[in-house]
Amino acid sequence: MMDWIVETRGLTKVYRTDGVATPALRGVDLAVRPGEFVAVMGPSGCGKSTLLYLLGLLDTPSEGRVLLAGVETRGLSDGGRTRLRRDHIGYVFQRFNLLPTVSAEENVALALKLRGRRVGGAAREMLAAVGLDDKRRRRPNALSVGEQQRVAIARALVTRPSLLLADEPTGNLDTGASDRVMDLVGRLHRETGQTIVLITHNNQVAQRAERLVRMRDGRLLAD
Amino acid sequence: MLPLANILARKIRTTISVLAVGVGVALFLVLIGLTGMLREIADRTVRVQAHLMVWPASDQVVVSGGLPADKVERDLESVPGVECAIPVLRWPLKMADRVQNVYGIRPADWPAFASADQVVEGRPLEGGAEMVIDSRLASAGGYRVGQTVERWGRAFTIVGIAREGVAGRVFMPIDTVSEALQQTDRRASFFYVRVADPTRVAAVRDALRERGLNVFTMEEFYDVLASSFVDMDLVIGSVVFVAGLVCFLVILLTVYTMVVERTREIGILRGIGASRAQVFSLVMAEAGLIAALGIGVGYLLTWAARAAILDLQPLWTVQIPALRFLYAALLAAGGTFLGALLPALRAARQDPVESLRYE
Repeated sequence: MMDWIVETRGLTKVYRTDGVATPALRGVDLAVRPGEFVAVMGPSGCGKSTLLYLLGLLDTPSEGRVLLAGVETRGLSDGGRTRLRRDHIGYVFQRFNLLPTVSAEENVALALKLRGRRVGGAAREMLAAVGLDDKRRRRPNALSVGEQQRVAIARALVTRPSLLLADEPTGNLDTGASDRVMDLVGRLHRETGQTIVLITHNNQVAQRAERLVRMRDGRLLAD
Repeated sequence: MLPLANILARKIRTTISVLAVGVGVALFLVLIGLTGMLREIADRTVRVQAHLMVWPASDQVVVSGGLPADKVERDLESVPGVECAIPVLRWPLKMADRVQNVYGIRPADWPAFASADQVVEGRPLEGGAEMVIDSRLASAGGYRVGQTVERWGRAFTIVGIAREGVAGRVFMPIDTVSEALQQTDRRASFFYVRVADPTRVAAVRDALRERGLNVFTMEEFYDVLASSFVDMDLVIGSVVFVAGLVCFLVILLTVYTMVVERTREIGILRGIGASRAQVFSLVMAEAGLIAALGIGVGYLLTWAARAAILDLQPLWTVQIPALRFLYAALLAAGGTFLGALLPALRAARQDPVESLRYE
């Protein structure tokens, strides 16, 4: 068994707009063990989302390295990063980000189809696991925001990813819906040992994690 | 599933795009169909059982009474190799609200124009004030056997209806037409000539030309008529270009708007595992669906336009060869492919992080 599911070394990201350099991450070293539930906390603009995009191979660092499942990702082509992301990552975005034109079940099934996997009853089973079996045929706009986020979690987990990355998954939810979503995340972690890296600025949400990492101005402050 | 769901989610835009492609397809096919009218006239003209057509050198068109029929017939039949000459006095006559060319022929020459079984009702010409019309004209004008038609100040009886497809739509005895036109002697607009040995058609043609006549083999005459198709082909080419361009621009605009509008969705797709190729394929599949629907709608519009044209102008011909339907589909598919290509590439190249941040 590998020591780290994901590991960063000296991770730096600088955005350049009209010749102006804006550092978002400044030499972040972070390693996450398989089965860990890590919460990354920090104020807006501290680089949390950038870190998540880099961990999920959606973006490339300006400097530093990301090793995912033991694979050095520096120098990989877009296709190579996509394959690695498909094999290991499940994403839950802040604003649910379901595709609006298809049903909840199709949204979940899509993650399997994009990987060329047989769907079978997997999408339905995953929706049942998040308590939405009876609403699987509904389109996102016919679901509450909490339900939409549960569909997004089902979509992220249906591919059995090594690492679940969640970008403020409760950011747009009221307290009740937020609790239900976090109960679900916590239960999935306990029952399946799912590795989770979750970004939040909410203390209550962060307290559900086993490990809390704090960020500020693109740096890790405490772990 | 996703491409279909996506185009169905934008019903108005999809409908407009499908209609634009459909109109392009229909425009192309209907125009092709209408040029079939020229070809049909040419086909009918040269389908007579003869080898050559002869008319005075001075005539540019074969609607006149320029030749003394008996004298020219004798001259023609005196040329070695000529089996017989068939005089035709062609003259305009209005029937079914359209000007038709009457073929004034000798009743004995009828077999050169139509076999006995082509007279589907009544009988062939025998002589006197009678006419045989073809089935298309009978249907368009509501004419029937036994009906009397007043023309040129006298009454003509329709004695037979022939299956359409040979020479003209109206046949009368040549003497009757001469008489009705108050010609003092029997005249002919042109002659069909049958050659005794079909392998010597060119030699007989040359011999007749030496006598100062306009002479063409049936194939040559068809080519003369077909030369007018060349201009038509230019028109068709222009329409093909415009139809293809419209298809290209509509699809370009539709797909480009679609891609910009769904920037964030493309980011989501990349986030949940879609490769660039998959995003490209998704956009192209949506454009392909629009094209497929547009082609289907185009075929329906073509069918409707053809029915409307034939209802309003029953004597027009709208002939669309089956292969042209395939060309129309390829035209629409090509325009669609080119129109969707750039937006699809743009979608595939979108930065997933930028896309996810897009508002």
